[in-house]
Amino acid sequence: MKRLATLLIAMFLGGHAYAGDLTVSVRGADGKPVPDAVVMVYPNGQPTKGPIKFPWAYRVAQQNIQFSPFMLVVPVGADVQFPNLDKVRHHVYSFSPGNKFEIKLYGQEENRTAKMSAPGVVAIGCNIHDKMVSFIRVVDTAYAGKTDANGVVTVRDVPVGAVTAKVWHPYLRGMKNEKTLAITSVGAGAAREAVTVELRQPSGHH
Amino acid sequence: MFKRLQTKLTVLYAGLFALALSVVAVTVYVAIASNAQRAVRQELAATGTVFDRIWALRTQRLQDGAELLSRDFGFRAAVATHDRATVESAVTNLRQRLGLDLAFTVGVDGEVVGLDPSRLDLETLWTALDAEDGAQGVFSIDGQPHQLISAPILSPTLTGWVVFAAKLDEREMQALEKLSAIGLDAQVFTQRGEAWVSADRAPAGGELAAFVAKAMQEKSRAPAMLRDGGDSLVLVQPIRALDQTRGAALVLRHPMALAMAPYRPLMAAVIIAGLIGAALVAAASWALSRGLAKPITALDEAARRLQRGEDVSVAVTTDDEIGRLAESFNLMAEEIREREADMVHQALHDAETGLPNRRALERAIQDRLTGLAVGEQVVIGTIGLDRFPQVRAAIGYELATQLVAKLGQRIVDTVPGLIVGRLTTSILCVVSTTTDIEDVLARAEALLPSLEAPLQIGGEPVDVHITFGLASATNADIDASRLIEHALIGLDQARATHGKLMVFDPVAYGDPASNLSLMSEMLEAVRNGDLFLNHQPKLDLRSGQITGVEALVRWNHPTRGFLRPDLFVGMAEETGHIRALTDYVLTQAIEDQARLRAAGHEVLMSVNVSGRLIDDQAFAEHAIAQVAAAGANLCFEITETAVIGNPDIALAVLARLAEANIRVSIDDYGSGLSSLAYLKQIRADELKIDKMFVTALESGGTDALLVKSTVDLAHSLGMKVTAEGVETREVIAALQLMGCDLAQGYHVAKPLAVDKLIEFLDAWAIDLPVKTESRLSA
Repeated sequence: MKRLATLLIAMFLGGHAYAGDLTVSVRGADGKPVPDAVVMVYPNGQPTKGPIKFPWAYRVAQQNIQFSPFMLVVPVGADVQFPNLDKVRHHVYSFSPGNKFEIKLYGQEENRTAKMSAPGVVAIGCNIHDKMVSFIRVVDTAYAGKTDANGVVTVRDVPVGAVTAKVWHPYLRGMKNEKTLAITSVGAGAAREAVTVELRQPSGHH
Repeated sequence: MFKRLQTKLTVLYAGLFALALSVVAVTVYVAIASNAQRAVRQELAATGTVFDRIWALRTQRLQDGAELLSRDFGFRAAVATHDRATVESAVTNLRQRLGLDLAFTVGVDGEVVGLDPSRLDLETLWTALDAEDGAQGVFSIDGQPHQLISAPILSPTLTGWVVFAAKLDEREMQALEKLSAIGLDAQVFTQRGEAWVSADRAPAGGELAAFVAKAMQEKSRAPAMLRDGGDSLVLVQPIRALDQTRGAALVLRHPMALAMAPYRPLMAAVIIAGLIGAALVAAASWALSRGLAKPITALDEAARRLQRGEDVSVAVTTDDEIGRLAESFNLMAEEIREREADMVHQALHDAETGLPNRRALERAIQDRLTGLAVGEQVVIGTIGLDRFPQVRAAIGYELATQLVAKLGQRIVDTVPGLIVGRLTTSILCVVSTTTDIEDVLARAEALLPSLEAPLQIGGEPVDVHITFGLASATNADIDASRLIEHALIGLDQARATHGKLMVFDPVAYGDPASNLSLMSEMLEAVRNGDLFLNHQPKLDLRSGQITGVEALVRWNHPTRGFLRPDLFVGMAEETGHIRALTDYVLTQAIEDQARLRAAGHEVLMSVNVSGRLIDDQAFAEHAIAQVAAAGANLCFEITETAVIGNPDIALAVLARLAEANIRVSIDDYGSGLSSLAYLKQIRADELKIDKMFVTALESGGTDALLVKSTVDLAHSLGMKVTAEGVETREVIAALQLMGCDLAQGYHVAKPLAVDKLIEFLDAWAIDLPVKTESRLSA
C-alpha cells in the first residue's frame, strides 16, 4: 500500500510515466563490500518536496550495549524511537547540528523518541558507554537507502531522467564523508552502478 | 752516547725506574679511566632507563588527564557545539589542575581553542593527530620542544583532540639531571631536516650534533665516547616525536674529566711518588755508580800512564772486586816495572861480566857527545886483553871471563867516574871524563903498569897484558859507534906496531872502504896499462954479470898516483883478485923477457907468486903452458910460509913447476919462522935472504954468521943464494966472501922499466970487490 501510494504520488506529482530501480554496489579500496553506506539519489539534483516515507522503522534500539542498527536512514522530520532493551541505563545524545538531542539516563523497556528536524548526519553516542556509536542519516530525498552486508543497495522507482547521486559513509574519506556517483541519468527498468570508496579507520573506541 | 760509566749507569737505572713507573702510572690511569668509564656508562644507561620510566609515567599522567577531559560530557558538548568560551575555560581549568604548560583543543576542522594557532605548525600537528589515536611525542611550539599528548574528542564521532603540552626546557632537564648520581648534562635534540639541533640549551657543538645524528642513524643505544676536546660519554636515547617523520632524542652527556675528577688526587699521588722515586733512584744510582766508576776511572788513568811508561800505583780503597782489581793492577804494574828494569839492564849490560855492553857505551858516549861544549872532546879508550885466546885456552872460558870482569872493576876502582863496558870478548871500552885526549894519553901511560899487575883469579895470580887504543871526537865529528870503531882501530894499530898504547891514526888507517873499489880499478888498470912492471937486476957475485931480474908490479893510479905494491897486492890476495894480477904479471914478464932477449940480454926473469896460488893447480897448469909456449926462462919467487899453509898440494905443485923447468925461489928467507924440515922438502932452486939480515951485515955480529950458515945450508941443499937489500960495496964484499951467489939491491940497481933496463944492461960493468981468483977459490 505504501508503494502504491508512493507510486501514485510520484505519478501525480512528477507526471513521469516511467521510473527505474538503481542498484549501487559499494566496495572499499581493498575490494571488500562496504555495508552501511548510504546512497542518495536526487532526480534533477533536487530534494524531494513533500513528506518522505521510508518502508523501514525509524528506530535505533540499545541492545547488548550497542546501538542497533548502526546506520539508519530517515527523512527529515522523522521521529526516531530509541527503545532501551538492555538492563542498564543509557544516556543517548547527539551533538549533530540541527538534530541535537539528549535522552538522559533512562532504563529498560523505556522508549523515547527524538525528532530529526534537519537533513544531515546525526552521530549518536551514549554518555555512559563510549563504545556505543551509531549514525542516522537524515535525508531530504525519497530515493535513498543503505547498503547491506554485501555492500549493495537498490533504490527503487527513481524517476527516469537526470539525477545526482551520492554515497555517504561516516568514515568515507572525502568532503562531508560523501562521494558523488558517476551516474548522471536513470533509465526505465533496472540500472546497476558500482562505486569504490576509501574508508578511514574510525576514531575513538569502536 | 755516554762516555762515562757513571752517567751510563745513572741514566740506565733512573731510566728503567722511570719506565717502570710510567708503566705503572699508565696502567693505573688506564684502569681508573676504564673503571670510571664503565661507571659512567652504567650510570648513563641507568639514567636512560630512569628517563624512559619517567617519560612513560609523565606520558601516562598527561594521557590520563587528556582522556579524562576528552570524555567529559559537558566538555564534549561544548566542543561539539563550538562553545569556545566553555572549551577554553575547561582546558585552562585542567591545565592549571595538572600544572601543564599548554592545553588546547584542535578540531577536526583545524580550529584551535586555547592557543594562538600561529604559535605552532598546525598542519603538521593536525596530520599527526589525525594519523593516530592518542598521538603523542615531542613537538615544537614556539620553537621550543614540548612533550605533546593528545586524546581524541569523540561525540561520539571524532570532533577534535585535546592536546596537552609540557615544555622540555632547562628546568625539566635539570630535574632529570638531578635524578642521576653523577653529573649529567641532559639535552633534547630534535631533527630539523637532516640536521639535529639542541632546542633548549646553549647551542651545542657541531660535533655533538653530528654524534647524535650518527647515533640515531645507526640506532646505537649504548653510551659512546665523544671526543670533542674534552672527552665525554654520551648516551643518545630516542624519544618519540609527534611527527613520526622526524626524530627526537634525549642526549645524556657526562664529561670524562668529571668522571676522572675523583681519581685526580690518586693520580697526582702516583705521579708525585713516581717523581720522588725517580729522583731518589737517580741520586742513588749516581752515588753507587760514582763509587763504582771512580776507582775504575782511576784504574783507567793509571793504565794509560803505565802505557806511557810512567811509574804508577793506584790507591786500594775497597776490598770488593774493584779493590782486588786495583791490587792486581798494582802488582802487575810493579812486575812490569821489574821486568822492564830487568830488560833494560839486560839490554845494556853484558850478561857474562855484568859490565855495560856496547849499546850502553854507545848511549853514554852519545849523551856525552850531545852535552859537549865547544873545544871539548869525548875521549874513549879500548883496552884489549892481549893473547886472550891463549889465556882462555889456559884457564878456561869461565875464568877468562872473570878475568875480563875483574880487569873492568880494576879500571873503575882506579879511576872513579869512568864508564867501563865490554865491547867484545876480550876488549873493554872506557869512556873518559877528561875532555882532552893528551891528558888521557898521559894518564893512561901512567896507569898502565898498575893495570897490568897480575889479577887473582880463582885464588891464583894471572898475568895481564893489555893494549890501549884511544880515540876522540867533538860533537860535530862522528857518532858514538864510529868513535868506538876508531878506538878499536887504534887498538889494532897499537898492536900492529907492537905498541902498548896508540891514538887512532886516521892517516895510517886510510879509508879501507875506498880500497874495495880499488880492486875493480886494478882490473881496469890491467887493461889500460896503468899497471906495469919494473925489473930489479940481480948481480952474479962470481961473474959480475947481471944474470937475472925480479919483476915487480907497479901501479900508476890516475887519481891516487903511484900505489904501494904491498897495498894492492895484499888486497888482491885478501879479495881473491890475486890470480888475475899474477896472470898479468906473468904475461907481462914473459913479454918483457922476450924484449930483453931481442935486445941481446938473456936474463932469468923472476916473478913473485903469492902463497895463495901455490896450492892452485889450475894456475900452475896455466903458467906451465904459457912458459912452454913462449919458451920463457922463469923463476917463481914464493915465500916460505906460503908453502907451509897446505904443504901436500903445494909440494906437488912445486914438483910440477920443476918438471916444467920453472925455477922456484924461496923469498924473504929469515923473516918468518923458517923450518929446516920444510926447507929440505921444498925442491927450490934459490933461497933469497931477507934484506933485514943483509943490511945488518955491515955491523957484523951474529947476522953475518947467520947469513954464512944459511948460504952454506942452501948450497948443501943444492940451492943458489940471493941476498936482498944490498946497498953498499962492503956488503957485496962480505957476501962474496961468504960464498953468496947473487946480490940484489940499490947498490946494484933500482927496479927499472924495461927500456931503462935495456939501457942499464947495455952499459953494465962492475968492479967486484973480490976478484975472480977469490971467486974461484970459493
